[in-house]
Order: sequence, then C-alpha cells, then structure tokens
Amino acid sequence: MIASFNLIEGGLALCLCVAALACLFDRHLLRASCLFVVFALFMTLAWWWLEAPWLAVAELILGALLTGASLFYALRAYRPNGAASSHRANATPHYDSFRGSWPHGLTRALLALAWCFMMWGAIRFVMPEMVYSPAEHPLVMAAVVIAATAMGAFALHHHLLRRLLAFNILGSGVFLLLAGMAGTEEGAQALISVGLAIAWLGSLLGALLIRHLFLLEGKNALSLDSQTKEQPQ
Amino acid sequence: MMTLLLLAALLWPLCAAGNVVWQAYQTPSARRNYFPLVWLTASWPALLLAYGGEAHWSIAAWMLGGEWGLNAISRPWLAFTALLWSVAAVHGRGYFVAEQAKAQAGDQNAERRLLRLALFWPLTFVGNVLLIIAQDIASFYLGFALMTFAAYALVVHSGSQQARLGARAYLILAVIGEGLILGGLLWAAGTAETFMLEGVREGIAAADHGAMMALLLWLGFGVKAGVIGLHVWLPLAHPVAPAPASAVLSGAMIKAGLLGWLYVLPLGAEELSPGLTLLGNVMLIAGIAAAFGAALLGVWQRHPKAVLAYSSISQMGMLTAMVATGLAAPAVWPLLLPGVILFAAHHALAKGALFMGTTISDHMPRWPKPLLFALIALPGVSLTGALAAGMISKWGVKHALYEMDHTYLIMLLTWAAIGTAALVSVCVWRQWQQRQQGGSNAFQWGAWLVALIAALITPLWLPLPEGSIVPPPLTEWLGIVWPFPVGVLLFVSVAYWLRKVGGKAPPAGDLWWLYSPLAAHGVKLAQAIGTRCKAVKGACVSVALAVEQHSMGQLTRLLSSEAWMRHHGSGLMMAFAVVVALLLIWEGMR
Amino acid sequence: MTWRFGLTEATFEPLWLTHWVLAATLALPILFGLLGALFSPRRTLPVALVCVPILLTGVLLLMEYQQAGLLRWQWQVAGVTVSLRLGGVSILMLLVTQWVGAAAALYTPGHLRLTNPGKQARWLWPLMGVLISALSLIWLAADLLTLYAALELMGLAAVGMLLLSGKPAALQAGMRYLLLALVGSLAYLLGVALILGYWGQLNLQALAEVVEPGPVAWIAAALIGAGLALKAALFPLHGWLTPVHESAWTPVSALHAALVVKASLFILLMLWNILLPSSLFAPRFVAWLGMLAIVWGGLVAWRSDSLKTLVASSTVAQLGYLMVAFPLIIGPDIPPLPKALAWEGFWLQLIGHALAKAAMFMAAGNLILATGESSLKGLAGTSRRLPLSLLIFGLASVTLMGLPPSSGFTAKWLLLQAMVMTQQWVAVVALLMGTLLTAAYVFRVFRYSFDETAPRHHYQPLAPSMDLVALALALAAFALGLLAHLPLALLQGGGV
Repeated sequence: MIASFNLIEGGLALCLCVAALACLFDRHLLRASCLFVVFALFMTLAWWWLEAPWLAVAELILGALLTGASLFYALRAYRPNGAASSHRANATPHYDSFRGSWPHGLTRALLALAWCFMMWGAIRFVMPEMVYSPAEHPLVMAAVVIAATAMGAFALHHHLLRRLLAFNILGSGVFLLLAGMAGTEEGAQALISVGLAIAWLGSLLGALLIRHLFLLEGKNALSLDSQTKEQPQ
Repeated sequence: MMTLLLLAALLWPLCAAGNVVWQAYQTPSARRNYFPLVWLTASWPALLLAYGGEAHWSIAAWMLGGEWGLNAISRPWLAFTALLWSVAAVHGRGYFVAEQAKAQAGDQNAERRLLRLALFWPLTFVGNVLLIIAQDIASFYLGFALMTFAAYALVVHSGSQQARLGARAYLILAVIGEGLILGGLLWAAGTAETFMLEGVREGIAAADHGAMMALLLWLGFGVKAGVIGLHVWLPLAHPVAPAPASAVLSGAMIKAGLLGWLYVLPLGAEELSPGLTLLGNVMLIAGIAAAFGAALLGVWQRHPKAVLAYSSISQMGMLTAMVATGLAAPAVWPLLLPGVILFAAHHALAKGALFMGTTISDHMPRWPKPLLFALIALPGVSLTGALAAGMISKWGVKHALYEMDHTYLIMLLTWAAIGTAALVSVCVWRQWQQRQQGGSNAFQWGAWLVALIAALITPLWLPLPEGSIVPPPLTEWLGIVWPFPVGVLLFVSVAYWLRKVGGKAPPAGDLWWLYSPLAAHGVKLAQAIGTRCKAVKGACVSVALAVEQHSMGQLTRLLSSEAWMRHHGSGLMMAFAVVVALLLIWEGMR
Repeated sequence: MTWRFGLTEATFEPLWLTHWVLAATLALPILFGLLGALFSPRRTLPVALVCVPILLTGVLLLMEYQQAGLLRWQWQVAGVTVSLRLGGVSILMLLVTQWVGAAAALYTPGHLRLTNPGKQARWLWPLMGVLISALSLIWLAADLLTLYAALELMGLAAVGMLLLSGKPAALQAGMRYLLLALVGSLAYLLGVALILGYWGQLNLQALAEVVEPGPVAWIAAALIGAGLALKAALFPLHGWLTPVHESAWTPVSALHAALVVKASLFILLMLWNILLPSSLFAPRFVAWLGMLAIVWGGLVAWRSDSLKTLVASSTVAQLGYLMVAFPLIIGPDIPPLPKALAWEGFWLQLIGHALAKAAMFMAAGNLILATGESSLKGLAGTSRRLPLSLLIFGLASVTLMGLPPSSGFTAKWLLLQAMVMTQQWVAVVALLMGTLLTAAYVFRVFRYSFDETAPRHHYQPLAPSMDLVALALALAAFALGLLAHLPLALLQGGGV
C-alpha cells in the first residue's frame, strides 16, 4: 500500500517537475501558457493527494482558471492581427527570441543550484527522515527543484510574460514545500490561501501591465537602458 | 586726591584730543586755533601727579587686572617726561604759528597736517603716561603701542619726501620692535604665569630660557632706545620731524625704551644665570659701540638735528652700557639706579632744549648773537658733564662705578664724553652756519629757556629718593670736565684738517642705506618666490581640474552600474540570501 | 531583545472600547478610501474632516497604551490564530503612519486639481486607504500569517498607487516593482515555511521562546532577509526604487518613501531579532552594505540630473543609516548602553526620515509642478518665485543632513555615540561622509535654484494647502530633534 502511494506520489511529483520545467524553458509563449495550465491541474491533484480539498478547489479556480485566463489575456496583445502589429512586424509573436549571454545564464544556474542546496540543507533538519530515504517525500523533492529552478528562471528571463510564469511556478513550488513540510494544518492552509490569492492578483495586475506596456511602447521586456540617464554635467 | 589726579592725567589729554575733533567739525577753519589752552595744558595733570607722592592703584575691571603705581622709578620718570611734554607743547605753539596762519588763510594741506598733529600729540602723551605708571603687562603694552603708533603722525607731519622716508623707517622698526616685545612679554608671562611686570622680571630671572626672553625684550625696547643696529630710524626721523616732536621723541619716548628695560629685565638680581650675564656683556659692548660709533658718524652730518640724533644714540649707548652692568655686574645696580634716572632725566631735558634750540637759530630773536649761541650750546656743554646738572649726573654714575672698581667702564664713558663734546660742537657750528633771522615767537623761545633752565637744574626738581644725589667733590671736577675742551679741540683740529683735505660725509641713517637694499632684495626674492608659487598653483589647479574631470568620468562610469543593479535585482536577491546563509552557517559551525 | 518589540505578556486585557478603536483604526482608512472613490473630493476640507476620526483613533490608542502599557489581542478564525499587540514601537509607528498618511491625503486634492490626471485618480483614495490599513496592521501584527497578509496587501496597494500616473515609464517601473515585490514575498514565505515546518509556530512571541540557533533558523533568516531587503530597497537591491519615484504622483511618492519601505525594514529587524539572537556576522554584513548604501546613494543623488531621482536616491542613503545600526541592535554581547542608544537612534532616524522625506517629496513635487520641469536645471530662478517651496526643501534637507537641532542630528548623534562606544570607526566615517554627500547634493539643488540668469515666463500657481502640508511635515521633522524625548519615551525600555 505504502509502495503504491509512493508510486502515485512519485508519478505526480515527476509530472509536476516535467510540466514546470517545460513551462519554464519553453520559448513558445502560447505553449508555455498551456503548459502552465497543465501544471496547475497537476497542482490541484497534488493538493487533493495531500488531503486539502479546499486548497485543491482554490488552485483549480485561482491557479488554473483565473491565472490561466490572465495569461492568455496578456498573450492576446501579441496577436499579429491585433493592435500591436502596427508597432512591430514580429514574425513569431508568440516566441521569445531573446538570447542572453552565457555568463548571465551560468550565474543564474549556479545561484539556483545554491538555493536548491540551501533549501535541501534546511529540509534535512526539518524532516530528518528524508536524510535516509530521500524518496520518502517525492513531492517535497519536486517542490525544492521547482522552486529553485523557477527562482533561477525568474532571474534569467527577460520576457515579462515568462517572468510572470516563473513567478507563478515559484509560488506553487513554495506552497507545495510549505504543505509538504508543515502538513496541511490550518495555519499552513491559511498562508497558502493568502498566497494563492495574492499570486492571482499579482498575475492579473502583471498581465494588465504587460498588455499596456506592449500596446504603448511595443516592449515585452524591461529595458536595460531606460534609466541610464545620469550623464556628466 | 591722587586718584583724581590720575584720572585727570589720563583723561585731560583725551579731552584735548576730543577737543581737536570737536573743533574740526564745529569751528570754521579761518578762526580755528589748533593749540588752545586745553591742548597746551594736556600734560600738566600728569606733572602734578608726579609730585603728588608715591601711590598705588589696583583696578580689577581693567583688562586683565590693572596695577598702576608711582614708585621710585616711575615717579621721577613721569616728572621729567611730563615736564618735557609740557614745555614742548608750549614751544610747539610758537613753532607752528606760521603754519597755523597758513591754515587759517585756507591752505587745506596745512590744515590737515595741523589737525593730525594736534590730535595725535595728546594721544601719544597718554600712551607715554600709561606705560610709565603701568605695573601690569596689558596696560604697559597698551601704552607702549599707543605711544609708538600715534607718534608716527608726529614724525610724518611735514609730509615731505624725507619725512615720509623717516616715518617709514620709524614705522618699520617700530613694528619689528612691537613684535619682539610682544613675543618676549607673552613668552615670559606665559612661563611665569603672571600678568604683572614684576612677575615678568622674576620669571625671566628664574626661567630656563630667561636669556632668550631677555634678548627679545632688550632688542624690542632697543628699537625705541636706539640700540646699535636698530637705531637707524633716529637720524632719519629726527631731522624731518617738527622740533617739538623731535624734542619729545628724543627726550621722552626714547626713554620709554630705557624704562622698558628697567621694568622687565632682572637688573641687579642675585644669582643670575650665565646666559643673562652673557647678555649683559653683549649689551655692554653694544652700548659702548653705540656711544663711540654714533659720535664718529654724527660729526659728519650737515643737519643739526641729525647731529643731535646721533648724539642721542651715543647717549643712549652710554645708558645701555649702564643698564648692562645691572646684568653683567648686578652688585653695582642699586647704587647705579638713581644715577641712571638722573642721567636719563637730564639727557631728556637737555636734548629737548637742544632740539628746541635748533629752531631758535632758525628764527633768531633780536638778542646778541654770542649770548644766543652760548645759550644754545649750554645744554650741550652740560650734557658733556662740564657744567651744572650734567656734572652731577656724570658723577652720580661714576661714583657708583668707582665704589665697585669698574675703572675700564669709567674710562670708556669718559672718553665717550669727548665724542659728546665734539657732537655738540658740530651741532652748534652747523646751527651757526645755517642761522636765520626773524620769525621768532615768545612761546618758542620762552619754552626753550624753561627747558634750558630745567636741564641745568635737574637734580633740584627731580623727585628722587633722599640722598641719592651726590655732588662731586672738587678733586674730581677735573676728571669730569676735561673731555669737553678736548672734544672741542678735537673738533676744531679735525674741521681744519678736513677743510684742507675735503671728503664726503656719510649720509644720515647710516645702516639704513645698507638695510633698505637688502630688504628690497628680500622683497624681490619674495616676489620671485610668489611668482613661482603662482605658477605652481596654476599647475596644481590644472592638475586638480584634470583629476576632477577624470574622477568624474570614472564616477559616471561607476554610477552606471546602478542600472546594472536595477536590472539584476532578482539575481542579487538570490546572491544576498546565499551570502547571508553562508555567513550564518560558517559562523555557526565555527 | 524581543521585549523591545512588545513580544511579551500583557498585564491588562484591552477594554471593550479599545477593541472598537482597534477595529476603527484598521477599517476606517479602507472605508473612507472607498467613500473617496465614490465622491472623489476636489477640496481639502472634506478630506481633512475624514482624516480627523482616523487620527482620533490613533490618539485614543496612544492614551490607552499609556494607561495600560502593552496590549494584546488574539482571535481564533477557522482554526487559525490571529494575534495583534500594541507595543511602544507599534504605537509610535502607527501614529507616524496616520499623520504622514493624513498629510499625504490633505496634499492630494490640491495636487489632483492642478494636474487634472483624469479618471484613474478615483482609484487613488481606496488604494491609499488600503495602504494605511495594511501599514497599521503591519505595526500591530504579532504572527507571521498576519504579517504576510498585510505585507502583501501593502505591496499590491503600493504598486497600484505608483501605476496611477499611467505614463509608460511608470508602467515599466511598476512592472519591475510588482515582480520583485511578489518574488520577495515568496522568499519571505519560503522562510516562513521552514519556520512553520520546524517549530510549528506562527505566533512571534511563542516562536521567540522556542527558536534556537541552527541551520533552519539561519537559512530561514537568510531567505526572509533577502526577500524583505528586496522589498525594503536595501543596497544593493534598491534598483527598482528610483524609477518608481521618477514618474509617480507626489503624494504617492511621499507615502511610499516615508512608510512603505520602512515597513519591510521593520519586519526584517523584528524577525532577525527573533531568529538570530546571537549572530555577529549577518548584521555586520548588513551594516557594511549600509555603509556602501550611504556612499552610493549619496553619489547617485549628487550626480543625478532629475530632482525626483535625487530625492529618491537620498532615500537609499538614508536607509543606509538604518542598516548601519543593525549590528548595534542585533547580536550577542552588545553592552546595554550602546544598544539602547542605537535603538533610540534607529527609530528616531526612521521617523525623522519619514517626515522629512515626505516633506521633501512634496516640496520637490511642488517645484516640478510649478516650473513644469523635472530636471535640476529647470529650477533656475525658483529662489525668487517659489521661496516657500525651496524653504521647505531646505528644512527637510537640514534633517537629512543631520544639522542641529533637527531630528536627523539627534538620531545621528545617538547612533554616533553608540558606534564610538563599540568602536566601529568605519561606520563613523561612513556616517560623516554621508552627511558630507548629503550636503553636496542638497547644495547642488540650491545652486541651480539660485541661478537668476535664466529668464522664466510662466509658473503654475500652487494651492496653499500643498505648501502648508509640506511645511508642517518639514517643521515636524525639524522640531523632533528638540522634542526627541517624546517619541523616545514611547519606545518602551528605550531609556537606560
């Protein structure tokens, strides 16, 4: 019985990881958004699995439905036949073609790794049984990986929508970690609920802003030189 | 009563000065009398004060605590000083009659000059009185400085080229002297932690660097007293100053320097340090050198007042030598002091009379000429010690030195008197050569006669302690008198020889003509250094500008990393967490 | 040390009236904000009337606190414990929040009337209300959940307010701020997750009793510290701050610089105090960053061309002063006297800066509004035409420079004393250098404003309330230096 539980939980964790990583590193924005909805559905399952039905419902509504809708709403700004087409003739509007420099990527990878180790180091003490059998709580493992990767991806990406996606996945990872470590007692549930609500509000605001920014300026990333106006006298 | 007199002595001259200012604004220049009664009597309360007896005042509220007093030194000093100022003031009224007439006729220059003189005359006098009665450093220095700087107006009076040269020489040296005095006083007062002159005297005797302090003070006061090397202002300033001003300058103000020595140097103190004894010997040599050197230079002068100025230097050289014995041979000092005071008083009045006499020969009254020139020469003869007060003052010094067997000094002083005699002869001869008739004034010759008589009978009126005046025994007369005829003979023979050989006289002011090119070179050097410094400054400024520009460029480049920080906020946050965690873990694991 | 934050047992139960006052304190701002959205007031008077009850609640709480000392509340809501406490720091910061908030609210109608921003101005009032409520809740909250909720609420309201001006630059800056603020809270939540998982406590007082140094406490402190440092714009995580202020409305900037960043700093200080009672190096690290912040903020402000950038960068430098005080407040083996001095200096600096910076933003906003130019060069000639605004700017900068007798001086004096006692000479040098740099950038403003050569044709006249409010704030910051004993008396246990 325990083995089957572990099997299901392990499968869920694997699915979550795969969905999250795919969502984080897919340059095709529409596909990435779809992947995020899939990830949110997996999250719902995970909450269900962790015996927190209310959180599952909240995740389904706030995470999958509303956040997904916000993301698609933001994506509509990039439609070729939309208002944005007058700004730039972007051949692949749903594709993030930005290429960062390799030191940039490398430092982010290293930082993400450091965070991974940091969280893992803390979890060793919070859940001592994990030291002997790391596979005991695959969801926690998955949460650590997801949170660290999402954090790194958030710092790595330039495209605003991808950063928003990374933020959402980071949030889910953190919530999962919280639930995995503290169980689903009332305090943890309250924290997660507040976090979910805030994440949705933030995503909504972010989606609105992305749309506005793209419509006003044709920008889909925060420019580096926008504030470098300090010139010598 | 004494306090009232003191107040009057100090305030009455100020009233006189105030009156001058008042007059300048109130009375039209045509009717203006520059020398009214209040001006003439400015010094009279001080004279009365000197005869009021000994007294002492402590005024805590005055500056750093005033201590004023009339004692065995300051009383006679105040007496002869005030007397000379009074006589000179009366003489001045006569002397300036012609100029006053010009001013009243509308000559603005003359008007301005007279106003200046009339204003600063009483101020100078106040300074002189204050420094005499002061026993604390602050009052003394205030009086000394006031006298010194106010007297500049007296020297520069005529405004001619030479007057300005003389006044400049006076001022430059006066400033140097003030600096030395201030330095010495502050050093000594700081070391001894005292505000009193008495304390300075004791402090110098006791301090480790007492000799250095004494040297500073000796040189500082020496500017006034005409110590050799610092005397150059005397022959430059005296001939150009008006005769009454010359009289007080040479009679009273020079003596202020001497008084300064008496007040601050530990004269006659027991167990003096070797340094102070050495200083005494140096002073002695300098004094003797001044006594002879001034005579040698003075006889060549054409201007009678320049001759008299050299005579003053020579006389002050003798006084310097006497004061020096107070350091070099302290035992003799108590005996010598009354003689020094008498000598100073007699010299003051006699020199005053001689200076006034120069105007008498310029404006001869209708008297028989032999009588007139005999009278003119009389104070000079007295100065050589051949007559009256001069003889007594000479003996007063001599017998003190005899007691202690300082025969060399006596001999040198006696020989110096030959020089005095020669100088007096030259002066009278020059006056005879340059005599002019007319323009005499009763004030002028009246005051002169008073000064003359006062000089001859100095011991009678000078308020010295009882028994300090010893008339010379008849056997010694010859020893005192002989330099005079020798000096006159010397002068006559040399003059005769010179007329045959011919020769060029050294200019008045001797060393000044050595100093001024040196100073000019110094100024040029300083200017060159200044130019160099300017160039260096310019270079510094340009370098600083370049550095600034460069650093500003660097700064701007540095500040552009602000944008980098902005762009990498999340990465920095991750790094922050990692660093803090590592720090904490490292600290915790230690 | 946690007793200084009021995390101890209370002697008295709050009275029933106090419950209502507390409810009013938290609810009235939101309520009035919604009313403002409905009626969008164009005059100062109704706003002033509305401010009165809010300020009254603060005064009532103050009286209550002075009578009863520490007050605590605890409720069970659906199995979750929510706890609040009213300590010395809380009441002090609550009062500052309410008064600065009221000043910003009074300033707003005049500003809106002159700028005519359009329809979105309506949203300002509810957002301001939510911000004030959230801030009040942060000062009062005594458990991690309430703190988190209030922090998020405050952050979202602040982002919303800053976006209102609607310019592309504002949107871009707001987007950056939004993303960073959200991620910062997630880092905080990660730390909270570790704490909750290990100790199972959300209540701060209970947590302070059970917490012990160990890897969990350290990593949780690092995560929480990073997240909150990002939100509090501590150097070098301050990058988002300047552009946000560059294009925001004046009252919003004033509120944000005065209070919002301070709230995160407050939480950071409190949680580190609980989690790291015996750490030496982490507070030192923050202090070193603080010294860099002082110099860096000063340099950026000195070289900036825009008035608002100057004022915003000076916030970075002034936060540096607060960071420098960290090792004097947190850590083992600090002698009691420097600790108490640093504690007082910290809060006085925080309050003084809040008042002065709000006044400075308002004065700068007035100058920009009147001249129509936001660059320093645009200030030429203002010395004659806008002397009052410049005077306010000068008064506020006196506090920032720390010249006597302003509160900045008193605060820096206290900090300096504490530093000299603990022999932190580098911090002393940084403090003095900061003062020098502050003087440099302030006098740069004055150099431009006293330039009389540039001819000027048109100046927008200002509403009197705008200058008066700013003047009152600047004077309050100035006078606080002499009346420093009043707020310091409230910091319970601050005195030695």
